[in-house]
Amino acid sequence: MKKLILSALLLASPLFAQVKEKVEVPYVAFPIKMGKGFDAIQTNCLMCHSFGYITNQGRQSKKFWHGKVVKMVDHFKAPMDEKAIQETTDYLFEHYGNGKLK
Amino acid sequence: MQRREFFKKAAVTAGAVALGTNTVEAGVTGQPIDNRKVSEVAFPEKRPLIMYSDRPPLLETPRDVFTSTLTPNDQFFVRWHMPDIPTHIDPDTYTIHINGLVDKELHISLNDLKTKFEQVEVTAVLQCGGNSRSAFQPIAGGIQWGSGAMGCATWKGVRLGDILDQAGLDKDARWIGFNGSEKAAYYETPEFIRELELTELDDNVILAYEMNGEDLPYLNGYPLRLVLPGYYSDSWVKMLSNITVTNEYKKLFFMDVAYRVPDNETESETPEKRYPTTKPIKKMNVKSVIGYPTKESIVSHKSHVVVRGVAWDDGHGIQDVMVSVDGGKTWEKALLDDGKLGRYAYRAFRYPFKPTTFGKTTIMTKAISKIGEEQPLAKDIKWNHGGYKYNGIDEVTVEVI
Repeated sequence: MKKLILSALLLASPLFAQVKEKVEVPYVAFPIKMGKGFDAIQTNCLMCHSFGYITNQGRQSKKFWHGKVVKMVDHFKAPMDEKAIQETTDYLFEHYGNGKLK
Repeated sequence: MQRREFFKKAAVTAGAVALGTNTVEAGVTGQPIDNRKVSEVAFPEKRPLIMYSDRPPLLETPRDVFTSTLTPNDQFFVRWHMPDIPTHIDPDTYTIHINGLVDKELHISLNDLKTKFEQVEVTAVLQCGGNSRSAFQPIAGGIQWGSGAMGCATWKGVRLGDILDQAGLDKDARWIGFNGSEKAAYYETPEFIRELELTELDDNVILAYEMNGEDLPYLNGYPLRLVLPGYYSDSWVKMLSNITVTNEYKKLFFMDVAYRVPDNETESETPEKRYPTTKPIKKMNVKSVIGYPTKESIVSHKSHVVVRGVAWDDGHGIQDVMVSVDGGKTWEKALLDDGKLGRYAYRAFRYPFKPTTFGKTTIMTKAISKIGEEQPLAKDIKWNHGGYKYNGIDEVTVEVI
């Protein structure tokens, strides 16, 4: 009898009904450096991705960071003007740069 | 866009992954960054993993998981591209649409998929093309993954071919586009779509709803994802919403710009001079990763140590895994598992050895495929700007005490 009940239970429950309710992905506060241009980073980058996505690219050249920002504008259609592109690039290179322009 | 919801969620402070520092000199490829700290935050249905980003979620599996053929679902790596992943999917109303150059458009419910088609299983490795990217110097663009942006699972679902047969392909049909449900923050951002040429598809390609005997975890693409054995994971579209058949290739960001390597024989270039043309990364090369010991392991002098790990390629199969415990001077064959999970699965390997010298001992593994491809030394891996397809001989250095 016990066995019967157990198998009935197994039948009734789906394999792993994990998305029956809304899933909450945790919000993580990544450490990020403050400084000139941070406002532009907060306004333009955080809309689509976390600070972790930035800081986990590793230390990179100015050319690299400029290229990344331009990619966000050209391919991902981030609404950024020239000033915003300049400010974010300068910030990224100053705080997450490798000291090399190229 | 449900942007506000992200900010409503409780903020969790976490030990984020620190900036990668690798000691190898500029211009030299070395070992990837090894076994970074696991985060304090657990994501839905996952144990705490190595975390790079919460939005989109980017989670890496720690090295010590790679000692067996199958990777547990709650330790399986996670990689998304867009910030907005549907937070609720109703399995009772979820429907996959098949349209374009077909005789009959199909709208298949999850239940129909599970009951009206032949159910098949394939065990296959899912690996990010940028897995081990942190090995590249100078640092290649992208997340600086260690070697855990991968896993192997038994996927259950329905053959893509059976679904296309039921829809009936038009005689001009040539390309199949796969659309996932993740959304960008801006309407103008390109959607995550992949296109595959019909000739690339075979009966191993399935739409999977189950992973290792459970529903797909939410973060691995619930309720349905494309499974493309042998191919890097960028083509394994998650939370599939639509399949469109076309007669011509549509230009797409995730096909034409991202996930590409130099289109030359060695798939390499120099940081100063990028190669002018590129090709998609597509199929995996031969590789092995040591799961035990790790650099944190304590290994006792004259004890019986069994080195364990996994090896795989794009489906030709693994012939041998060679192990060196003297820093690469001599090599011996490891014992391979029975391989009964098929040619797309990890081959788990083991190698018993007794450390007879005190101090640092370097264990290395080199996989060789059935077509004779073998892993090069890490230092011989050639650079590419995206940091894709690293497959250097794996190394773990332990202290024998």
